[in-house]
Amino acid sequence: MLAQVLTQLVVVVTLLVGVSTALFVGRDRLRKTRGAWRQRVRAATPITIALAAVLLFNSVARQIVPDFSWIIDWNLTFPIYDLEGEFIIWLQAQATPAVTAYFSFIYIYGYVFLLVFPLVAYFALSETRPLRELLTAYTLNYTIGLLLYVFVIAYGPRNMMPELVEALLYDTYPQYQHLTRQVNRNTNVFPSLHTSLAATVSILAYRTRVQYPGWNIVAAVLGISVAISTMYLGIHWVIDVLAGIALAYVSVELAHVLVGRWSISAWLDGRVQSLRRR
Amino acid sequence: MDTQRSGSRRKVDGDSAGGISRRAALAGAAGVMASTSGCVREFRSTVNRDDLEPLSLTITTLPADGDRESILLAREIAATLEAVGIDVSIEMRSQEEFRRAVVINHDFDVYVGPHPGGLDPDFLYETLHSLYADEPGWQNPFGFTNLLVDDLLEAQRDADGEQRRDAVEATLEALAIEQPFVPICTPLEHRLVRDDRFDGWADGHLATRTGYLGLEPQTDDSADQLRAVHMDARPSQNLNPLNVEYRDRGTVIELLYDSLAADLVATDGDHSLEPWLADDWEWLDESTLRVSLRPDCTFHDGEALTADDVAFTYRFLEDTALGGSAAPAPAPRYRGRVAAVDDIDVQDETTLELTVGTGQDVGEQALTVPILPEHHWSERAAAATIPGVRIAQGTTDAVVTDNLPPVGSGPFQYHDHTEREHVTLERFDDHFTLRADVALPEPTVDELRVGIDPRSTSAMQLIEADSADVTSSPLESYVIDDVDETDAVGLLESPSWAFYHLGFNARSAPFGNPRFRQVVAQLIDKAWLVEDVFHGYARPIATPVADEWVPDALEWDGADPAMPFLGSNGEVDVDAARTAFEEAGFRYDADGNLRVRQ
Repeated sequence: MLAQVLTQLVVVVTLLVGVSTALFVGRDRLRKTRGAWRQRVRAATPITIALAAVLLFNSVARQIVPDFSWIIDWNLTFPIYDLEGEFIIWLQAQATPAVTAYFSFIYIYGYVFLLVFPLVAYFALSETRPLRELLTAYTLNYTIGLLLYVFVIAYGPRNMMPELVEALLYDTYPQYQHLTRQVNRNTNVFPSLHTSLAATVSILAYRTRVQYPGWNIVAAVLGISVAISTMYLGIHWVIDVLAGIALAYVSVELAHVLVGRWSISAWLDGRVQSLRRR
Repeated sequence: MDTQRSGSRRKVDGDSAGGISRRAALAGAAGVMASTSGCVREFRSTVNRDDLEPLSLTITTLPADGDRESILLAREIAATLEAVGIDVSIEMRSQEEFRRAVVINHDFDVYVGPHPGGLDPDFLYETLHSLYADEPGWQNPFGFTNLLVDDLLEAQRDADGEQRRDAVEATLEALAIEQPFVPICTPLEHRLVRDDRFDGWADGHLATRTGYLGLEPQTDDSADQLRAVHMDARPSQNLNPLNVEYRDRGTVIELLYDSLAADLVATDGDHSLEPWLADDWEWLDESTLRVSLRPDCTFHDGEALTADDVAFTYRFLEDTALGGSAAPAPAPRYRGRVAAVDDIDVQDETTLELTVGTGQDVGEQALTVPILPEHHWSERAAAATIPGVRIAQGTTDAVVTDNLPPVGSGPFQYHDHTEREHVTLERFDDHFTLRADVALPEPTVDELRVGIDPRSTSAMQLIEADSADVTSSPLESYVIDDVDETDAVGLLESPSWAFYHLGFNARSAPFGNPRFRQVVAQLIDKAWLVEDVFHGYARPIATPVADEWVPDALEWDGADPAMPFLGSNGEVDVDAARTAFEEAGFRYDADGNLRVRQ
C-alpha cells in the first residue's frame, strides 16, 4: 500500500514540476542551463551533501528522539490546548468535502511540489546563490526543528480532540497514513515542519520575484494553503504553525548570512590546481 | 581597639540624642512588648494557620493515537469537574509512558484509561490489596489501603464454589462503597475478519491465544500465512511477558509462551480452564495440587521443558532477583496468581506438587502464568545497570528486557520483526497441540504475521482489500457503524473483561478520602458516556468484574445502582454536586472553587 501511494506521489509531483518548469522557467533558461550545469552542480555540491547528511541523520534520529523527549518530559500539549483550542474547533467547523479534498491534496502533493520545484527553478538561474540559500535554509529547518522536537512533547489537535477534528486526512484517505507515518512521530508537532519548509520556499520566492514573478504568487498561495492545511486536518495547532513561520524566517535569514561566507569549492579549486601544477 | 569601640558607641548614642535616648527606647519597647505579648500570641494564632487550597488536579490519560476512547472520556470528565469548581488539566502520555507513570512510578493524581481486568474476579486481590501499595505493576497502582477490604479480598480467595460467589459479592459491594477506582464501562469488542480465507472465527476469543488456533484455511494459500493487523505498535517493540509498560492482555505472549492451564475463551465469552502444558492435575488434599506435564515438550530453542522450568518460573515471578536483592523484586504482572502458590515440590521430570495457600478455584488460576525457560531467564535475575545512573531497587534485567527474540514453548515461535511495522511468528512444529492424541486447538497456519497499522480506518481498508485477515485489536467504536459486511468480510462482536476506569492516587489528598471518591463517582454519567464516546458499543458498569460475576445488587438497571449520576444526559447538576461535596465535609470559596487540605 505504501508503494502504491509513493508511486502516485512521484507521478503527480513530476507532472506538476514539468508543467511549472514550462510555465515559469522557460525554454531560454533551460537552454543556458544545458551549457552551465557542471559549474552550477559544483557550486551546490557542498551544501547538498550537508543537507543529505542532515536528512539521513534526521531519519535515524526521529526513531530515538521521542525516547529522549520523554526523559526530559516537557509536555506542552495541554498548555497549548488551553490557550487556543477554540480556533481549531472553529476551523474544523468550516469543513466541507471539497475543502477537505483540497487541503488533503495540498498537505501531501502540494507540499512536496512546493519543496521540489524551487530546486529546479533556482538551478536554472545563472546566479547559484538562490539555490545555495534554499538548500542551506532546508538544512537549517531540519536541524533546528529536530532540536526543538527533542525538547518539546506535544500532541496535535487530532490526538486531543479526535471527535471534533475527525482526523480528516486519515479517515477520509486512510492510505496516506502509511506515507506520513514513515516521516512523522505523533509527539513531534511543535513546530510545524510542514509550515516552516513551505514558508521558507514562499519567503525565498518573494526574494526572487524579479526572476520568477509568477512563481512568487504560486508559492505564496501554496505556502499559505500548506499552513492552513496542517491546522484544518487537525495535525497542528496554531502555535505550531506560528513557530514554523518563525523557524522559516530564522532559517532564511541565517542562510542569507551563511551562504558565500565559506567557499569550499574555491578552497578545493585552489587545492586541485596546485596539485595539477605539480 | 577599646577606645575605638567606645568611640563608636558614643557616636551611636550621640545620633539618637536628638530623639529618644537608646536606653529609654529599650525600656519603652520592653514595656510595649509586655503589654502586647498577648496581642502577638493572638497575631501568631491568627496568621499561622494554613488555608485550604483550591483543588487543582491533573488527569493522566492516553492520546487518541493510543486510545481514542480514553482521551474522550478524560475530556468529558475534566469538563464536569471544572463545572463543579475543580481546576483540571489533562496530560496525555504514550502507551508505555502512561503505564510507566501510573503503574510503575505512581506519579499521577487521577488517570483515565483501560484496565486489562480478568475473567476471574480474583484479579481484584492484586489490584487492591494493601500489601501491594508500594509495588510497581498492576498490583495496587492506586495505593489503596483498607484493612476491611483486605479481609474481604482474602476471604474470596480462600473460599470455593457457592461460598466464593458470596464472598466475591461481599467484596464487590464493599468496593462499590469505597470506590478505590470508578469503573466506567466495558467495551464491546468488534473485529473484522475475512470469512473467505478462514473459518472458525467464532470458536476462539481474539484477545486470547485460542482466537488464532484451530482456524480452518478456506483457500489453497490461506494456510501459508495468517495476516493480523494490530493497532498498537508495542508487540513489535517488546515481547517480554513480565514487562508491564508494553503489555495489555498479552495476546501475542500467549501464543509464544505456554501455561500449565489455559482459559479457553470462545468469541461469545464462554470459557473453561483446561489442561494445557499440564497433562492433568489432581488435588491430593485441600491445598496440595499435583500437576503432571505433557511428556517430551521442548522450548523453541530445542531445550527440554521440565518440571524444573515450571518451579523456576513460579519462584522467579515471586522474586525476579532470585534473592539477589536486598528486598524481593516481584514481577509487575501475574502478582496475585503467583502469590497463591506457597511452595513447589518437583517430584520428577514431569511431576510437581504445588502447595496452594488459597482455595482451589483461585489455586487453579495460578496455573495460567507463562512458563519461562530457566536457561534464558536465570541470568536475568541480575540488577539492571547503566553506568553512572542510579537504578531503582528491584529493577532486574527481567522486568526491563525487550526479550527479542523471545524463546518460549508456545504454539508459535518468533520469526522476525521490524519495529513499528510487524512481528512475524511461525508455527512451532513440535508443539503438543499438533500431536495426534491431543484434542486442543492447534496452529493451522505456517506463519502468523502481526502487522502494525495504528488506525482503525486503514486497518479496515487492509481487510477489505484482502491484504489482511483479521484485526487483532478491537476496532475503535466510532468506525463500527461504517463497516460494510460482505460475504468475504465479517464483523465479529465479542464481550470484553477489560474495562475503562478512573483511577485515584489514594496516596495524596483528597483522593485518599472515600467520601471524595464517592462524589466524583457520582459526577460521571456512565450511560451517557457509553452513547457519546463509545457510540453505544460498550456497557456501563457499577462493578469491574466479568458479567457472570456481577451480583444482582450491582447489576446496571438503567442507572448506577451504587453511585447514581448527579444530573441527567451528561449534564451535571452543579448545585447538587456542590451540596454533595459539602455534605462530604468539603468547602467552597466565594468564587465557587472547591477548597481542600492538600
